[in-house]
Amino acid sequence: MSRHQLLLRLLFKAAWVRKDRALTALISVAVVATIATAALTIYSDLEGKLSREFRGFGANVVVTKASGPLTGDELIPINQVVEGRGEVVPVAYAIGTERRSGIRVVVGGADLDKLRRLNPAWSVTQLNQGSALVGARVAEKLSPGGDWQIAFGSAVTSVHPGAIFHSGSDDDSRIYLPLTDFEKLTNTQPSTALIRLEGRPDEIQVAVSALMISFPELEAKPVRQITQAQAAVVGKTRSVVLAASAIVVVLIMLCMVATFTSSVLERRRDFAVMKALGASNRAVNSFFAAEAALLALAGAVAGYVLGSGIAFWIGKANFDAAIPPQPLLLLPVLLGSVLLALIASTAPLKLLQQIQPAAILRGE
Amino acid sequence: MFLRLLFESFRRQKRRKSVALLAIALGMSIATAMIAVGTDIGDKISQELRSLGANLVITPIDDTLDVNIGGVNLKPASEGASIPESDLVKIKGIFWGHNIKGYAPFLSNEETFSGKNGSFKADLIGTYFAQTLKYGKEQFSTGVRTVNPWWTVEGQWPQDYAEWPMWPTPDIATATPDVLAGGKLAATFHIATGDQIEVGGWRLRISGILSTGGAEDQAIVAPLHIAQTILGLPNAVQRVTVSALTKPEDAFARKDPDKLSPAMRDRWYCSPYANSIAYQIREVLPNARVEQVRQVEQNQGKVLSRVSGLMLLLTLAALLAAALAVSAAMAATILERRQEVGLMKSLGASNMAVAALFLTEAGFLAVAGGLAGFVAGTFLAHRIGHSIFGSSIIVHPVVLAVVIVAALLVTFLGSAGAVRKAMRFDPAVVLRGDA
Repeated sequence: MSRHQLLLRLLFKAAWVRKDRALTALISVAVVATIATAALTIYSDLEGKLSREFRGFGANVVVTKASGPLTGDELIPINQVVEGRGEVVPVAYAIGTERRSGIRVVVGGADLDKLRRLNPAWSVTQLNQGSALVGARVAEKLSPGGDWQIAFGSAVTSVHPGAIFHSGSDDDSRIYLPLTDFEKLTNTQPSTALIRLEGRPDEIQVAVSALMISFPELEAKPVRQITQAQAAVVGKTRSVVLAASAIVVVLIMLCMVATFTSSVLERRRDFAVMKALGASNRAVNSFFAAEAALLALAGAVAGYVLGSGIAFWIGKANFDAAIPPQPLLLLPVLLGSVLLALIASTAPLKLLQQIQPAAILRGE
Repeated sequence: MFLRLLFESFRRQKRRKSVALLAIALGMSIATAMIAVGTDIGDKISQELRSLGANLVITPIDDTLDVNIGGVNLKPASEGASIPESDLVKIKGIFWGHNIKGYAPFLSNEETFSGKNGSFKADLIGTYFAQTLKYGKEQFSTGVRTVNPWWTVEGQWPQDYAEWPMWPTPDIATATPDVLAGGKLAATFHIATGDQIEVGGWRLRISGILSTGGAEDQAIVAPLHIAQTILGLPNAVQRVTVSALTKPEDAFARKDPDKLSPAMRDRWYCSPYANSIAYQIREVLPNARVEQVRQVEQNQGKVLSRVSGLMLLLTLAALLAAALAVSAAMAATILERRQEVGLMKSLGASNMAVAALFLTEAGFLAVAGGLAGFVAGTFLAHRIGHSIFGSSIIVHPVVLAVVIVAALLVTFLGSAGAVRKAMRFDPAVVLRGDA
């Protein structure tokens, strides 16, 4: 039997004969690896997941032009910036007068489907009579249900409410008409674009400044309360998750080190027998280190798989979208676990080396 | 005899016991910190979400429609109806008054101002900045500085003037009240901090430049009582925005309270839903229309539940991990004590006696470790609260009981398996050292 075969045999026998001991060590490494993987995987994806939740707040950027309507040259690049991650709704406004009551009302022209998609928080009551989207206060003030004759200068149109919405904002005092009807009626083109840009707060900021630079005559303003709240909530949640995970991982790591160290100290007889049979310090050290490394490796792989699974499931359960495993984490988790196990198992050997094997074997 | 065994076991096996104690304490401090953070995160994030601004808006019920395009108010202040300002403090007296974090009244009208660079037209907006008010015996301060935290001022916030109608009409000739100029307006008309402008015979001093990202950027914002005097509308406000801590809306919240049975109505009334707070405000301000700012109210609940849900799941995962780690540590220390078990059994101890000894030991360790862990965990939770939210996270005393029970459970589970395993071996084999 060669030296290597002997070493291998020793390694596997040591684990096999005391299965419980190997198992508890394995479990403690796996627990550390699991929780570290799960926490880091969640943390890495948290900003995106939480930012998505701010979709429902409606427009977070408003682009206006000081004079004249927004041209196609300006709208196309805006659409390109937002493409696939938000909504752009150009809106035109004019003041009309309801003929019978003489009430002045702000009328907006926009793509009504897009407008409703932009404001999912509005509570909308469908009437299915006409096409106009009517604010709740307008519906209350003007004779309810009836057709309204709205005059813009000399042009008059009858408005049939298609749906009534509550928003709690200025929009409650407005009527929205389909943009094409509105343009025909008032000869006014959109000079404002309501934009919802999805993404992290800094991405939104970058997109806004890019627009401002390429079109100096436009004014692009982030809706500050929304972007600020998003930044605050996302930032603080990330910090809490990071701090809590760091605490949990460090404490569990300490727990594992204690278990590991203690189980090595319990094996001082093995150690003494090896030494008495003529093994060098180096040989004993490398034997214990190899055993710890193997256990840690197995535990870390199990932990990585389990941790990724937990993160995946937490994403599904909480955000309705899975958090994908992070392959980049595998190596740090493996290396970290092995390193930790090496330190935890070889440090106590230093202590034992100072004692005579005979003393240990005698049970002193 | 039993007590002596117990005592000697702790005295002679200090190292083993301290490893077990350390493991339990570490595990339980995780439990304490995570439970504390997990249960408090909802309140903390809810406070952060207040930076979205008001979630309720009050307007006079017989008001005319707002005529407002691109932040420019085209409706004269005299045209619409108003709410008496003196009634507003009653908002603090509603059932959920303590959930009202603040409110800010607004009165605005387009005016012609004259400055050193000529005259210009702009909205004059009157509001509270941080007005000190009294409701009953309670004194509180409210205004845009709390309700709209995203408003920033370069320079000084103006002083609010005393509560209406205690404020004596100031002398138009000598008083120069402080006001704010919106950033865009200031840039267009070259207004700087310290400048004086005139409106309707009044001289106003610009104490700071206001930036809000909204319509106020093109307006002059004055203390409400100054605006009321200038506009000749004493005690009048057109709109009040209210920032309230609310419970996320559910199906029950959307019910019409007047159609519910008395018991259900009470439950509805006593839940801090935006709808029930709006209902209660309507009770004290009968001529007001109270609407939720749906953009804010409908979404903050969703964000809140996501964050709380995440922390809950993370807490569960951490608790499970801590339990496993502690169990493994306990099992490891007991597995190494087969020889003891063997010795005791060969001396005639029953399985019961051996188990009792080990479990009592584990019980002592659990209580001591649980206590130490609770103290350490409380400290960690405090640190997280202070460093991230700037306010402490309160650890409820109930958590102590939970932690001790959890510690007992986990250590028992960890030891029981190991003790049973140790007892299954033949004492002779164990003592020979063959097992």
